[in-house]
Amino acid sequence: MNSARAWMVIAGAIVMAIVLPHFLSPGLSELATRLSTLVLVAVSWNMMANAGLISLGHSGFWGLGAYTAALLANAIHMPFWLTVVPAMLLGGGFGVLLAYITGRLRGLFFAISTLAMAEALRVVALMVPKLTGGAEGLFVFDEIRPGRATMTSFALCLVVATVAISYFLSKSRFQYALRAMRDSESAVQMLGVNPAHFRIGVMALSGAIASCAGVISAWYTGYLDPGAAFEMRITISAQIAPLFGGLYTVSGPVIGAVTIMTLSELTRVYFGYSAGVGLLIYGIILVTGVLFMPSGVVGLYQRWRGRSKRGQVLAAGRS
Amino acid sequence: MVGLLLQILADALLLGGVYTLMAIGLSLAFGVTRIINFAHGDIVMYGAYGAFFAFAGLNIDPLLSLPIVAILGGIGGYLLFKLSLDRILNDVSINQVLLTFGLGLILQNVAVILWTGDERSTTPAYAFDSWQFSDDIVIAKGRVIAFGIAVLFVVMLLAWLRWSELGRATRAVSQNQAAASLMGINVRAMYALSFALSSAFGTATGAIMSFLLPITPFMGFPIMVKAFAIIILGGMDSVIGTVFGAFFLAIAETAIAYLVPQGIGWAEGVAFFLLVLMLIARPTGILGTVGRDA
Repeated sequence: MNSARAWMVIAGAIVMAIVLPHFLSPGLSELATRLSTLVLVAVSWNMMANAGLISLGHSGFWGLGAYTAALLANAIHMPFWLTVVPAMLLGGGFGVLLAYITGRLRGLFFAISTLAMAEALRVVALMVPKLTGGAEGLFVFDEIRPGRATMTSFALCLVVATVAISYFLSKSRFQYALRAMRDSESAVQMLGVNPAHFRIGVMALSGAIASCAGVISAWYTGYLDPGAAFEMRITISAQIAPLFGGLYTVSGPVIGAVTIMTLSELTRVYFGYSAGVGLLIYGIILVTGVLFMPSGVVGLYQRWRGRSKRGQVLAAGRS
Repeated sequence: MVGLLLQILADALLLGGVYTLMAIGLSLAFGVTRIINFAHGDIVMYGAYGAFFAFAGLNIDPLLSLPIVAILGGIGGYLLFKLSLDRILNDVSINQVLLTFGLGLILQNVAVILWTGDERSTTPAYAFDSWQFSDDIVIAKGRVIAFGIAVLFVVMLLAWLRWSELGRATRAVSQNQAAASLMGINVRAMYALSFALSSAFGTATGAIMSFLLPITPFMGFPIMVKAFAIIILGGMDSVIGTVFGAFFLAIAETAIAYLVPQGIGWAEGVAFFLLVLMLIARPTGILGTVGRDA
């Protein structure tokens, strides 16, 4: 796909994202909004994974975004579309901070420190009730909450923008540096690339995108508390979607997000709200995914299409 | 004031025993396999349920069911390793993290489905008993027992590592895998053994937790996070380091819980702040030797 065609697809997708929600039933609209938040965190998680950074702290970015939006809405009645800006700045800033703190940590040490940072944020949110409402939670100022269709359009537009960013990234030199970092940061350093710069960049971007998802969820549900905003489940679904769809690919997280959303809706239909079944299925997907299909659905598809097709894809990537 | 300080000291000491139990299995498995088991907390949870059903159904004291629970845990851990981790030992660490994380999710939610989220606990007489030394120093018997078991486990583990043939082989694999392999040690078998032992310690810890904490399917996650913090504080590949880390965390948490307003809530976060500080200051932990690029 050349650049002009890509821009046309993006423009078309934006128009669709704006128009479509006005024709959706309330149920579908809710589904589309939740799917959007899932795609955002999944793409964001995949960006970090791309550089060999496993995040177990994506709920931290989500919660930061959600609280930023809710607090600004309540304090100065900032409109919903504008709250994305400070939320992204804060989420990106937190990503940079995390990148500085974790320094050269890799693999599971990095994973554990992200987990600790997200949990630390949850404790802080719980312990400063003057600001966050503490365990009782916080309602978003109702009169300035947008309508359902507007919110869904907004969420879908953010998704289009995010997927577009991830697509252009995958065509850029940035991508090659990240992919090399995944294999060996010291080797990348030998080649004259400073991995620290790329790490800070990718974590800022990833954090900013994940906090957008939190913004959407805060405005859409109108309520948040530390338990829900920093819930481990957010991080879990953020990693399962790319793993199932295909790690390190552009379409993988999106395909994965749609699939696990469908799966969780189906389990809800068949098992009612009985606790545990949904997460059990997530766990099974994770384990079988790692053991039996490490390159995800996209990988299976590529293998099925054969080597010649993959050659073309690689060639296209180079041009 | 002296009374308060003594109480803080006693509480910290006893909490340190509990934390040692939580972290010791995790650090053993990591020291040998260099894989962090994100399902460790859930293994502890299964041990707690095992002790609970032995207590509720057969009226067996948790301390008596502990050895049985530990043996079952060891077998379970061995099977878990053979069926899953054994296949991806040479994969990048991201896969090992995701796999054990997924195993934890499965274990936790099977428990949710089987036993619901209701809180349970075993109630042997000593769980509610305490010694009162003066007006302001109270010591809970349950924690003293946990402390005793922790000491026993640490001594047993150190003795095994030091003097037994298998223990020496385990240390050899931990120090240098390639050299150990050249000396004729079956590295994969040692991995499986250490994982089984780690799970046995985990479920045994669960049997102790069954009278200290409410038993729910979700009890594993906070235990796991604490255990991570402890082994990062102490050094991931050292048993003594783990003990140091456990007491370090326990002292910090107890001091904050007593001395800071609303301290009990803030104490929950101490582990994470200490963990981050330690990563900045001394990434190998207090006594560890493993660099943080694993």
